[in-house]
Amino acid sequence: MSIESLTEELHRLVIEETKSARGGSIQKRPLKPSGMPAAAWIADARISSEIGKALSIVFSTVGCAYARSAAGGCTMCSYLLDGTQRSPSPEELVQQFMNAMSKIEGENGPVSVKLYTSGSFLDPGEVPVSARAAILERLGNDSRVRQVILESRPEYVSHETMVELRQALGDLEVELGIGLESSNDLIRSVCINKGFSSEDFRKAVEIAKAHEIGVRAYVLVKPPFLTERDALLDAKQTIDAAEAMGVTTVSINPVNVQRYTLVERMWSRGEYRPPWLWTVLDVLRNSRKSVRDSINIVCDPVAAGKLRGAHNCGVCDEAISQAIRKFSLVQDESVLEGLDCDCLSVWRHVLEHEDFSLLVHNHGYAGQ
Amino acid sequence: MALPSFPTYNDSLLDSVGNDDGILLPSLPSASALGPDFATALIRQQLALLRDSKEAIPGSRAIVRIPSQLDSSVLADTLREFGELGVRSAALLFEGGIGPNDRDSLMLRARLPRNWLTLALGRIEAYAVPFFYYLGFDIIDVGRALGAAAQAIRLWPRGYERVLHTEVLRYCPCHACSPHEDLSALSRDALEDVLIAHNIGVYRSFLSESTSSARSGQLRYLVESMTHSSPASTAMLRIVDRELYDYAEEFTSTCGTGVLALIGPESYNSPVVRRFREYVASRYSPPVYKRLILILPCSARKPYSDSKSHKLFRQAIDAGLGPSRFADAETILTSPLGVVPRELERMYPASVYDLPVTGDWDAEEIGIAANALAMHLAKFDKTAVVVAHVSEGYEEAVKAAESRIEQSIVYTTSGHPATSSESLRSLQETLEELTDVLSLKAGQDSENKEILRATADFQFGSGAGPALIPDSASVWGKPYRTIVCRVEGEQTCAFVASAGSLSLTLAGARRIAPLNRYWVRFDGRKIKGGSVFSVAVLGADPNIRPGDEVVVISPDDEVLGVGRSEMSGIEMCEFEKGRAVSVRHKVD
Repeated sequence: MSIESLTEELHRLVIEETKSARGGSIQKRPLKPSGMPAAAWIADARISSEIGKALSIVFSTVGCAYARSAAGGCTMCSYLLDGTQRSPSPEELVQQFMNAMSKIEGENGPVSVKLYTSGSFLDPGEVPVSARAAILERLGNDSRVRQVILESRPEYVSHETMVELRQALGDLEVELGIGLESSNDLIRSVCINKGFSSEDFRKAVEIAKAHEIGVRAYVLVKPPFLTERDALLDAKQTIDAAEAMGVTTVSINPVNVQRYTLVERMWSRGEYRPPWLWTVLDVLRNSRKSVRDSINIVCDPVAAGKLRGAHNCGVCDEAISQAIRKFSLVQDESVLEGLDCDCLSVWRHVLEHEDFSLLVHNHGYAGQ
Repeated sequence: MALPSFPTYNDSLLDSVGNDDGILLPSLPSASALGPDFATALIRQQLALLRDSKEAIPGSRAIVRIPSQLDSSVLADTLREFGELGVRSAALLFEGGIGPNDRDSLMLRARLPRNWLTLALGRIEAYAVPFFYYLGFDIIDVGRALGAAAQAIRLWPRGYERVLHTEVLRYCPCHACSPHEDLSALSRDALEDVLIAHNIGVYRSFLSESTSSARSGQLRYLVESMTHSSPASTAMLRIVDRELYDYAEEFTSTCGTGVLALIGPESYNSPVVRRFREYVASRYSPPVYKRLILILPCSARKPYSDSKSHKLFRQAIDAGLGPSRFADAETILTSPLGVVPRELERMYPASVYDLPVTGDWDAEEIGIAANALAMHLAKFDKTAVVVAHVSEGYEEAVKAAESRIEQSIVYTTSGHPATSSESLRSLQETLEELTDVLSLKAGQDSENKEILRATADFQFGSGAGPALIPDSASVWGKPYRTIVCRVEGEQTCAFVASAGSLSLTLAGARRIAPLNRYWVRFDGRKIKGGSVFSVAVLGADPNIRPGDEVVVISPDDEVLGVGRSEMSGIEMCEFEKGRAVSVRHKVD
């Protein structure tokens, strides 16, 4: 058998296991949609070159069509469990939006609004066109809103939709968050089961660019099946590739172990460890040097310092997470300097030893 | 050098590799959730990559990574294909516990070709080095030594020390530690360097102890002593003894010198012990004229005959049976060997084992001895009488076997030690009575012949005794020195007491050749020099173990020589290098 067909076989088994890990979790979600978003919060954020407030809205929808499909979805992601089994009506979606927007009542701006759905905001199956139009129109009419970021898989990025975005949002800064994850097609398909190619991503960037819409590339740090070092190298490579494809922001996402995923299955057997924060730090430092200044590099590690998130030894996790969040705001790599801990040499050892032994140096390893 | 897994390797990576370095083929960390199919695809991918690389990765330098989940039939198939590409090395991954993955990797170890270089990668504790060495691993990962150093952990042969969190550090005389009065005062990097040197030193000394123990035949003893370093190592050895007996037994020599210490339960099923029990059970057959079976306790001194206790027994037996002594089959009951027929008391390891003798036997020992005794006695005539001159644990073992013994049993110690004057008197009187009851006749004592035949059967399997030492044979010598056997004026074999085994002459070899056992087929008509090398071996009896007396034959079954095997029969066939047989006699 050829390497290609064997890789397909590996991929097939990964899909099977991803689906098996998901099990009936999707069917166990609440049936009834509601007028409340799954989550909404405010945080400081870098908007162009100043610091303002960002309102993140996670709409409660029927969830990512790709994760619901026979393709099985991504190996590390079960965000769609935030949604409901039945699609909310366009009215309910608008209501969710309005409810979230009430959080920035009284804010004067600049405000950045992030539209998340645990899927694709631009998928009309998830967010009906009428709801989308209503939401975008409201954003376009809100003078405080300086920036709109919305998430979508690349297959929903078309000239028609971009025109629609531009018309509704006028000359606001618009970015599409798209999960490139890895620029390596093998890793993206076999390890992540992302379901699209680098080329698909590149085309989406091009389409968006034609309408002066930017793309925020999500870069995954440590997909399953990679050693710490391979993960580190892959993230660096991916960031450089994303720059070359013309993205406007790079968002670095260390894997966190989500329920009902392949990653969780491997993690619970000690065969997967989320990345070290040292790895994340190294990726950030390196990319800030290698990528041109106009591209923001941001990172908000989910569950940092916890066993299910990017973590170090427990002593230094808080300080490093804080530095990473600060860096995302100020884009100054000096905030990443001067961090040190006894576990740094353990991490260095893991980089080397895991590579040739392929032994997963998991959380049980660091302790005795 | 390890090739990266996914950023598919390119040839330029190989430029930095030295000409002699092994190249670990790319694979992925274990993903047991994905099961054996995933493992199959991973190993097949390595095969495809190696094929595609053609020149870039020479097969002789490639190291296959064997996923622990791999199905054994897939392993056999793929290894054959790797072999055709010139590959001769494989690596297994160990996580350092007794988890299912590590067990699976151990089982796969036994299925690798015997002539391949084998690597144990992953987390291997220093105290596990003898165990991995025992299982035939050639290269053992010391990553744990470095990982511990990175965590400021100082490893010891048993346990470890957190240097920065221990109030009173142990004294260490090693060259790395001794220059530093206070390790905790060192800078982090300096401390790590010291600990790397120290920790690797611990691995080195375990490795050196392992190799030297292997040379002196004490490797198994070392492995057994290390079982106390952690519950996991005890469990691992038990698993190996249970699941991999055939694998470990094949490499276990059938001869040895020096004391063989059998300390506790970890010895009960060690290959050399279990094999002895199995050989006695399957190969020993008692002379037909035995009417009386006398069960005696073992003695600390070996062979038993040389001990004070057995000299006392002998006096009582001689006095009790007189000229009918030939009709008595002496059987020594012992743990953990089970039963040792008197004729085989000089056979390895009966001649050299040593164990803590307290008279207390545990349930497993009693079970083992009772089972061996029951099987042994079943070989005798049902009308023979069993005299059990044993007390304490020995007596418990006989009692435990009673229901499976068909002969009638007489106990002679009645609660006293076997060597007490009461017991000895009782033994003598019982034997006197039995001489009458069984109307034993006077007869010729044929101890020498019995030793020769029993030893021949034990070494070469049933039937070898009568073939080598027929009734017409003339036999002379002393059991404690040498017994020589001649048939029709020609010597066939000699029993060498110090080894406890027979050495064959060419004439003897011709006599046992028709049995089709312990043969090594040599590719030639004449042996040159004093050795047969494995490259010239066409085939060999798979029952051959290192240390066995073997017969070298030609392609058309002519006897060409006799000698001692230096490896197992299967190894002789598989190995391309190495001395297979040290030849003692050969056809000129």
